[in-house]
Amino acid sequence: MGDMQQPSSAGTGASGAEAAAALAEIQRRQEQVIKAVLVPVWFWWVLAAGIVAIGAARDTGDLTVEAITIPLAALVMAVLTGAMIPELRRRVKVHSASSGGRAAAAIIGMIVVIDGVILGTAGILAAAHLRYPGTIGCAAGAAVIVIAGPLVNRYMHRLMLSQARPQMSDPPEAGGSTL
Amino acid sequence: MSTARFDELIHAPTRLAIVSLLAAAQWADFKYIRDELGLSDSALSKQLSALEAAGYVEIRKGFVGKRPRTSASLSRAGRQAFEQHVAALQQIIARSRQDGHATSAAEADRGSPGL
Repeated sequence: MGDMQQPSSAGTGASGAEAAAALAEIQRRQEQVIKAVLVPVWFWWVLAAGIVAIGAARDTGDLTVEAITIPLAALVMAVLTGAMIPELRRRVKVHSASSGGRAAAAIIGMIVVIDGVILGTAGILAAAHLRYPGTIGCAAGAAVIVIAGPLVNRYMHRLMLSQARPQMSDPPEAGGSTL
Repeated sequence: MSTARFDELIHAPTRLAIVSLLAAAQWADFKYIRDELGLSDSALSKQLSALEAAGYVEIRKGFVGKRPRTSASLSRAGRQAFEQHVAALQQIIARSRQDGHATSAAEADRGSPGL
């Protein structure tokens, strides 16, 4: 391949192939950091299961089932979220330039959509006197979570990556080299 | 925009990995860096000390509850050196491509049957 004949740049001892490998390594490491601060996919599935459990418990109409299931599901979701987020932040904090208002807007937007889907679906089903409005409404909300959660992750990954490496896309300044 | 400056200290593979991780982060926990790079405590300490001595990295030791915690971050000088190093790498690649094109063109000229 052409890499074999690539000349070393004067004063650096690095060939074009070595420089490309170094840039690839830099990008890989930056992606590694960003992946570390995003919640794993299973987190969304646990949240979705908790919401469906709450909806199903509500539909049973059994006070004992509701009294046990709803607080338990809420507790599991709260503990999981409360443990997950600080754990992610304990290990590494992404550069402040990478965490902007757009990421927060994406998360808030997702929460609003989930609430809207749950309440809207359950409300329509209840108004039509159909069975299990809570379960079906929460299942619809859960479906939004498992679909939108990873999409929000992907969006935040892209956002953070683009902000973490502005220097990777800019061409080097002409005439400024000390090579 | 950074000027290009190849940095031999940063370019060493392990230090390049450490600096790249830190460049995307405000700070990173010592254990996180160690685990992500698959280094031993002593190997990471050695590399961080070298970077700290150059003024590229700041090490902070503190406590979270009763647990001691060491974290590292890139200093302003370290971030600047890293950006200049990235620019230098890009410049090397660009020059290498130009040389490659020039060589290919010369070979094509020589190899042309001249019909």
